Amino acid sequence: MTAAPLLAIDNLVTAFKTPAGRLPAVDGVSFTIDRGRTLGLVGESGCGKSVTAMSILRLVANPGQIESGSIRLTVDGESLELTSLPERRLRQIRGGRIGMIFQEPMTSLNPVFTVGDQIAEVVRLHRRAGRAEARARALEMLRLVRVADPEQRLDAYPHQLSGGMRQRVMIAMALACEPDLVIADEPTTALDVTIQAQILELLDDLRRRLGTAILLITHDLGVVAETCDDVAVMYAGRIVERASAAELFRRPRHPYTIGLLAARPDADRRGGGPLETIPGMVPPPQAFPDGCRFHPRCRHARQPQCAAEVPPLRELSSGHVVSCHFAEEIRP
Amino acid sequence: MTARQQQGNDRAGGPDEATVDQPDAPLVAVERLETHFPIRKGLLRRQVGTVRAVDGVSFAIPRGQTLGLVGESGCGKTTVGRSLLRLVEPTDGTIRFAGREIRTQRRGELRALRRRMQIVFQDPYGSLNPRMKVRSILEEGLVIHGMGDRATRLERMAAAVERTGLAAAALDRYPHEFSGGQRQRIAIARAVVLEPEFLVLDEPVSALDVSIQAQVINLLAELRQELGLTYLFISHDLSVVEYLADQVAVMYLGRIVESAPVLQLCRQPLHPYTQALFSAVPSVEPSRRRRRIVLTGDVPSPSRPPCGCRFHPRCPLAEAVCREVDPPQVDLAGHRVHCHVAGRELERSGSDPVAASAAIQAAITAATAGASGPCSDA
Repeated sequence: MTAAPLLAIDNLVTAFKTPAGRLPAVDGVSFTIDRGRTLGLVGESGCGKSVTAMSILRLVANPGQIESGSIRLTVDGESLELTSLPERRLRQIRGGRIGMIFQEPMTSLNPVFTVGDQIAEVVRLHRRAGRAEARARALEMLRLVRVADPEQRLDAYPHQLSGGMRQRVMIAMALACEPDLVIADEPTTALDVTIQAQILELLDDLRRRLGTAILLITHDLGVVAETCDDVAVMYAGRIVERASAAELFRRPRHPYTIGLLAARPDADRRGGGPLETIPGMVPPPQAFPDGCRFHPRCRHARQPQCAAEVPPLRELSSGHVVSCHFAEEIRP
Repeated sequence: MTARQQQGNDRAGGPDEATVDQPDAPLVAVERLETHFPIRKGLLRRQVGTVRAVDGVSFAIPRGQTLGLVGESGCGKTTVGRSLLRLVEPTDGTIRFAGREIRTQRRGELRALRRRMQIVFQDPYGSLNPRMKVRSILEEGLVIHGMGDRATRLERMAAAVERTGLAAAALDRYPHEFSGGQRQRIAIARAVVLEPEFLVLDEPVSALDVSIQAQVINLLAELRQELGLTYLFISHDLSVVEYLADQVAVMYLGRIVESAPVLQLCRQPLHPYTQALFSAVPSVEPSRRRRRIVLTGDVPSPSRPPCGCRFHPRCPLAEAVCREVDPPQVDLAGHRVHCHVAGRELERSGSDPVAASAAIQAAITAATAGASGPCSDA
């Protein structure tokens, strides 16, 4: 029982049925998150990382649908299959067991309610708490996320707060019911670097104190390197590489991961000729290539294998899995 | 015209003509630039306040060089870029381009100068008219500036799109048919087709994915080399600026707090804000990871900038003098900084920026150790 990970996703397929055909945004994704750990899910726009997150909470908007696969959440020794859980039970999970933080705190907070009311609402829904109790909890949460003058902020509307402050309120809402898992979808992308540093530090501090696991979805490899225990790299709906953060950044094995890392500019790369680039662009779901989806952009691709066979995820060393036919031969 | 503006114009009058044909004079020279916006309220739209978006900014960019202008949202970096082209009217100060004072040019003269200075915006979705074919988008500028007849215009446009990495057939398509990276190439083609000397690049790669971003950065570096362009590169992304810029200026609340050659600035930052800014950039290289300096609070509103040093409410090293006295500029072989503490440390170390930078960093570390205070809005 103790061996079961908090969240185990197995072979998840989420597709959008459109007039243009079936678009498999998430196409066979598997990973696990253990209690108290932070997993970084990285990739470029359109790789399916956000749809993966929305699938966990079954919040994928129409015409998107989870077609197959399993999402198991193990809490209090009970294993719940989220893909088939009745909607009523699932509502207790959302916000109760799994908290969610979105990229844009302005659009995800309701502009006509005070932040105190919005945090209290979560508590009242999930804890059956009374008004006064919920308000006290909201105040406690604002203190926890280090909002100054929390008593006054409780009655503030979202537009009266700065971007960093709104994101703190989002975090307070996500954590109000002490969830086992927090899904943070690009939580700092809209923020400036000094504010990003504040929020990342806060998330890490709360994780350590409350033992909450975090699924951090981001396109920023630097953020992953500094905050995550484990990393999964997504490309065109699939995971291409998975490892501990330390291992992934020391020894990236998939050509896409290697390419992403090499494409990052900084002062050390000055004067060393042009930046490494990955030719072409990320394919849209209606044009996913056969075989390895990265092969048209990969300089190590060999025919016919790469264009014909989907490379399986193989474990190259302990905990380091890569989906590439020739991973052993590739040097970064 | 206010007395202050008059004074600004007089200042510009003198050296203006003298520098016109000096080849070693900087291509762009900005002095004490101020751009303020009125805050109006009520039925009569009376002015109730002023947003001091740019409040006394000076810099110079030599021909062929790139100045990186960095800072967080609301610091005024975009307004600086737009003021240079007079897309917004500056309130005071001088802007000289190739020796000519931009602020006093008449319409026709300004138009001629504007061909030589172009701008690329951040959002490649918002900056291209969706109802115009790429051909019309590029041709508009050529027609306005009377460059060539139909046939030569087409030649120029084809050359420009091909130079920016697109097929000539792109001219007959609409912006929505292109990806974000390709649209940014179109925006760059629109700028370079006019054969400018100077480009204001306002966050040109911020909206792009990492793999596409590197392609566009390489393109900008190639164009600079081949066409001998001069860039003002505005960005909040320090790693991109570190890679592309020769000189970097850090803005905070409408002012430049520190400027220096790029490696000097990112390896020996002196201003506590620059220290915090660079320490906050997450890096994948463990060796480049510094102890993160977490600033408390947010940037105050530019309509009510704090007295003394504008950074003092968030500065871990703020002293009594910082709250009252605007710090003077300390100039150290091209490394300029506005900070009382940095000035003192430089003096103490015998003008050794390496020692001073280390001392300031140590002081910040000591001042912020264990203190994760509450965050507050200004």
